[in-house]
Amino acid sequence: MVLEKKGSARVEAGQRRVLDEATRQRRLTRQLEALEKDNFQDDPLSSLPPPGPTARLPAFSETEEPEKRRRKTRGDHFKQRFRKNFSALLEEENLSERAEPNYLSAVAPPSSLPPRPFCCVCGFPSHYTCTTCGGRYCCTKCLLTHRETRCLKWTL
Amino acid sequence: MATLVLDNGAYTAKIGYSQEKVSVIPNCQFRSKTSRLKTFTANQLDEIKDPSGLFYILPFQKGYLVNWDVQRKVWDHLFGKEMFKVDFADTSIVITEPYFNFTSIQESMNEILFEEYQFQSVLRTNAGSLSAHHYFHTNPKELCCLVIDTGFSFTHIVPYCRSRKMKDGIRRINVGGKLLTNHLKEIISYRQLHVMDETHVINQVKEDVCYVSQQFYKDMEIAQQKGEENAVMRDYVLPDFSAIKKGFCKPREEMVFSGKYKTGEQILRLVNERFAVPEMLFHPSDIGIQEMGIPEAIVHSIQSMPEGKNTTSNISFRIADDSKCVIIPITYSWEGGKLLAQNPDYEEMVVTRDDFEENGHCVCEEKFDV
Repeated sequence: MVLEKKGSARVEAGQRRVLDEATRQRRLTRQLEALEKDNFQDDPLSSLPPPGPTARLPAFSETEEPEKRRRKTRGDHFKQRFRKNFSALLEEENLSERAEPNYLSAVAPPSSLPPRPFCCVCGFPSHYTCTTCGGRYCCTKCLLTHRETRCLKWTL
Repeated sequence: MATLVLDNGAYTAKIGYSQEKVSVIPNCQFRSKTSRLKTFTANQLDEIKDPSGLFYILPFQKGYLVNWDVQRKVWDHLFGKEMFKVDFADTSIVITEPYFNFTSIQESMNEILFEEYQFQSVLRTNAGSLSAHHYFHTNPKELCCLVIDTGFSFTHIVPYCRSRKMKDGIRRINVGGKLLTNHLKEIISYRQLHVMDETHVINQVKEDVCYVSQQFYKDMEIAQQKGEENAVMRDYVLPDFSAIKKGFCKPREEMVFSGKYKTGEQILRLVNERFAVPEMLFHPSDIGIQEMGIPEAIVHSIQSMPEGKNTTSNISFRIADDSKCVIIPITYSWEGGKLLAQNPDYEEMVVTRDDFEENGHCVCEEKFDV
């Protein structure tokens, strides 16, 4: 597809703020992180104390001589491990010093094909790039929608 | 002795005894807006009358088991009286874990299965290995196969040769079902209706209307047509959880192409979303993920094999045309585990509780190819 640039939508471009590459990258990272979330909304229970065993756990480790107790029973040993999230576990694995293949080396490398442009408003193939934020658009109508809604902000 | 086969996925658990049938059950807990105090576990989901704004509590993060509190609640429920009534002292379990699982997770798993539940014996394996076992079992003449396992959290491409997993060829693409659902949620919320809180509903929409396009740009053209010409367009009736319990596609003859519906239902109009969303598996760069898609990653995987060094990238065109692609159901791995449990050598593949108590984690590490 030939990249075609028309003047009309770009006439006023000179007066608009232009986001630098680092900011664009940050915005993209934030969008991709949002796609990893389990829930968008807050936990309906969040205003109330957590139920059952989870409520007891922190108190458990804070009681007398936590260090000694941890060594004594396997159950406690578990509970320490249960509190770790993915990035803590990943760090703990120390994979950069382990033999390949491993979790880090198995990830598919970047594609050798150029990215395909799609309009960020309607999703159809796009020919144009927003001069401000680098988002793609396909027609004036979508450009206007884009500027009004998302261009310099991330609405959702 | 009974053998319980558990394909422990990040979103659903596929579970059943090796002599019986499989059940697909959510491997998570839920909270609902209507009964805020209660936490629902696994298939208690069916008890929630109004699952709008359903809140998920998942034991997995990025495909790895990190939240053991939740996982044990789900397992307690599955193994317990209400479901599988496991007699642990007389039961062997086949359980799956992700590729390149972390050592600490594997050790926690050993300890929980042997010490807490006290299973008589355990076999830990990868779901893809069970699928490969199933495939080689039903196609005994085949020497190799390539498993493409798209799950909730990610996609793995794994070559198997003479039933052996070729570790060097494993490729992971960080695109899975969760990402597709979240992306669909996001674009629907931007283009027509705010559905960001409705993961459960939109996941159903995805399963009902999305498909993999065989001719992507052709479908894009069709999707741009107006009115009845547009063969891609679907109107999806959203559930209201009173009169409409489950969403569905309007039949074509009832679709109103111009103007509004007179009926009061809430409708989503889905056009290019139907195939642009699953397309992320094939082109993650469409949304800015700097990773190869499935076809490219397959080539990359094969080229990393000793025998595959000289293959050229032309192979990517041939894959679609020539290779025997078997699209398999979600329970295929489970069925593989069932076959494995009936294998005469099964007893030699497991680690027994006595074995574990004597030798600890290292005996598991030696025996299990994970």
